[in-house]
Amino acid sequence: MDGVDGLIALADVERRLRAYGTALWGVDPPLRPLVGEGDPAALRPCFDADLVRLPAVWPSLALYRAALAHVGAHRMFSRPLPAKGLKPLLTIVVSLVEDARVEHLAMRRLPGLRRLWAPFHRVEPSPSLMAADLLERLARALFDAGYRDGNAWVDKGQRLFFERPERWENPNFSLALGGDLAGDLGKTRVQINARGHRVDPAYRDDNGGLWLYDTPPEPPRDADDPLEAVRPEPMEGEGNRRNGPPQALPAPAPLAAAAETTALRPVARYPEWDHRIGLHRPGFVQVVECEPEHQPPMDVPADHRLAGRVRALIRHAVVARPERLRRQREGDALDLDACIAATAARRHGHAPDMRVYRRVRRRGRDLSVLLLLDASHSTKDPVGDGTVLDLERRSADLLAGALAAAGDRFALAAFRSDGREAVHWLPVKRFAEHYDAAARGRLAGLDGRWSTRMGAAIRHAGTTLAAQPTLRRLLLLVTDGEPSDIDCPDPRHLVEDARKAVRELAGRGIDVVCVALGGDARTHHRIFGRRNVLPVDRVERLPEILPTVYVRLTG
Amino acid sequence: MALHTYRIAREPYYCPAGDEIALFEAAHADRLPVMLKGPTGCGKTRFVEHMAWRLGRPLVTVACNEDLTASDLVGRYLLEAEGTVWQDGPLTLAVRHGAICYLDEIVEARADTTVVIHPLADDRRALPLDKRNELVTAHPDFQLVIAYNPGYQSVAKDLKESTKQRFAALEFGYPAAAVEAEIVAHEAGIEPEVARRVVAVAERSRNLRGRGLEEGASTRMLIHAGRLIARGVAPEAACRMAIVLPLTDDSDLRDALAAAVGACF
Repeated sequence: MDGVDGLIALADVERRLRAYGTALWGVDPPLRPLVGEGDPAALRPCFDADLVRLPAVWPSLALYRAALAHVGAHRMFSRPLPAKGLKPLLTIVVSLVEDARVEHLAMRRLPGLRRLWAPFHRVEPSPSLMAADLLERLARALFDAGYRDGNAWVDKGQRLFFERPERWENPNFSLALGGDLAGDLGKTRVQINARGHRVDPAYRDDNGGLWLYDTPPEPPRDADDPLEAVRPEPMEGEGNRRNGPPQALPAPAPLAAAAETTALRPVARYPEWDHRIGLHRPGFVQVVECEPEHQPPMDVPADHRLAGRVRALIRHAVVARPERLRRQREGDALDLDACIAATAARRHGHAPDMRVYRRVRRRGRDLSVLLLLDASHSTKDPVGDGTVLDLERRSADLLAGALAAAGDRFALAAFRSDGREAVHWLPVKRFAEHYDAAARGRLAGLDGRWSTRMGAAIRHAGTTLAAQPTLRRLLLLVTDGEPSDIDCPDPRHLVEDARKAVRELAGRGIDVVCVALGGDARTHHRIFGRRNVLPVDRVERLPEILPTVYVRLTG
Repeated sequence: MALHTYRIAREPYYCPAGDEIALFEAAHADRLPVMLKGPTGCGKTRFVEHMAWRLGRPLVTVACNEDLTASDLVGRYLLEAEGTVWQDGPLTLAVRHGAICYLDEIVEARADTTVVIHPLADDRRALPLDKRNELVTAHPDFQLVIAYNPGYQSVAKDLKESTKQRFAALEFGYPAAAVEAEIVAHEAGIEPEVARRVVAVAERSRNLRGRGLEEGASTRMLIHAGRLIARGVAPEAACRMAIVLPLTDDSDLRDALAAAVGACF
């Protein structure tokens, strides 16, 4: 675990630290790295209501743990106090008493924390009257009731602190005792450098989180951009990100249109069904592939429970379930019912059926899935605190993460159309690719535009799926509306074309299922067949529903 | 009698967390089928044993598994020298002679198996044995109890609506810390203070539920840890053996959990 110079990196131990902090206190604040000049051992953690900052590199895992346990105790038992009008010396001493108070409260619940913190209280009695020395000795005296210092001020603090432990419960205790002690220290004219004061021992935070300042104190130097600060638990497939350089924000796109045209690449022409003449119009529609813009992968406040549930659900479905085969010619165990039937038959003088064994076989999953998202203009409609497309993206991300973890073959793409010459196909993840940060970036970069020429998209999806060497192939289409395009005045035309496309795919052994987020149910039934439409009545629930749908279809 | 061996002679220890005993007694008075829901190791089975003892009924328990067929429950023909002979399955035994039949982890059983209990779980109170061409009317003392853990619930393994709606339900959870400590102290035979520490370990692991752990430590695990302690194993080592290592294979989580165990003693 030790890196160079005997230092370890937060990034290497972040996951286990978070689990440790969560186990101790039941809350999981995001951890952010803290970078500073000079000796990393001199850095002190800090925290506020939302996150905890720990030095990016530090001498030991035990120090990280001690710091996290200490910050957790503050978050559990401390209430921030207004700092206005208080002298720096007072805030320092009150903070010190508060540190001791919350640690003792924490140790009442978790006595083993004493063994975690004690090794850092190493200061010994000395005649030094320097403020920093006195404070560090007071810190030890308040932590360790058995410590004997000899200095009158330290001893007084220790005596008053341990005199009535029941007062520790009262948050104002620190203010009262700290005020008293700070007054004494002020009278001795001990010089204290309030600005340069460094809290000791090293695991204790800088106490910034204990005070409410009118103007925020010096903003802590952060290792990466503020957007990152609210990052929830890393999603599956994101594991390598934290080691690499932070994702740069993309340069503002010069002109969306210009950027778009460079990426367009015609990939196929497909016929379109004309229901009035009952014939295909050959090569009528052109599909162009366009790489979605890269965006930093979205960091929605992921619901841990949901993410965990989805992962479990998919894993459960993917791990091939055993299949019992009865009445086999050979097998691992006797099929009792078959044996009895055979023996009964023999006694009756009939020829017995000798298939009397049973065995268990693991059924492999021979399946490819293409998840196709509707990225037309209507997906920009607001839902909850985002848009329909946001929900599509979030659901797709959740599902894709779980599928990638479980190892199912899948691809992810989106479509929209701008007339018959430009049906856009936006590949997010191809079958051969990994669902990595780049794919998540492409997913985040999808935006809603233009129309929904569904037939061509379904045919192109069919071409992609047909190339997959699996027995079952499934197209899962998520749409919020009905087929339409600017060059089609007859609404029935594209509906009939989409219906035809679905049937063509069915003819090639590809199942098409539509997850309908809105639109006319009858139209969807017409296109996909009643059985293959899964209406989602509340779009907000899509992230929960989509994985369930997947499992139901493929399990 | 047929069910003699299924009688519970000594009182199984059970520490009530609420009014579940009274509720179950009421349900039993009307022989309503009862479903017990709750995470693994929280005392569902113990509760049924306790109730069977309290009500003076024999208890027939079937642990359901994926391989459990309807014949395993209701019975089958076996061969003898002279021909075939019918052997009642555990469910039929309970139905005929009047026992509480407890189907544990019912969702594990195959769908066709769960359907067998339908006619027993409504006002028909009868069990058709199609192979024998017999309709067994339930003994007046017969009661059906099933248990399942909604935590495992997935689409593939959920009770059918038609099954669910035949049952009255009691929900079980891990008991409050003080009660749980009492249970651990009693079952493992350790000092109440040590038991409280072991329960604190459980709280740590339950904090990680859904954040890496599928489920926190169950009361049963705590009792195991307590028994090791009673045998003279150091508490931290006992918790590591009985709680941390069985719970997870993820090294980061294991490390974090072990450190959190250290904080509890």
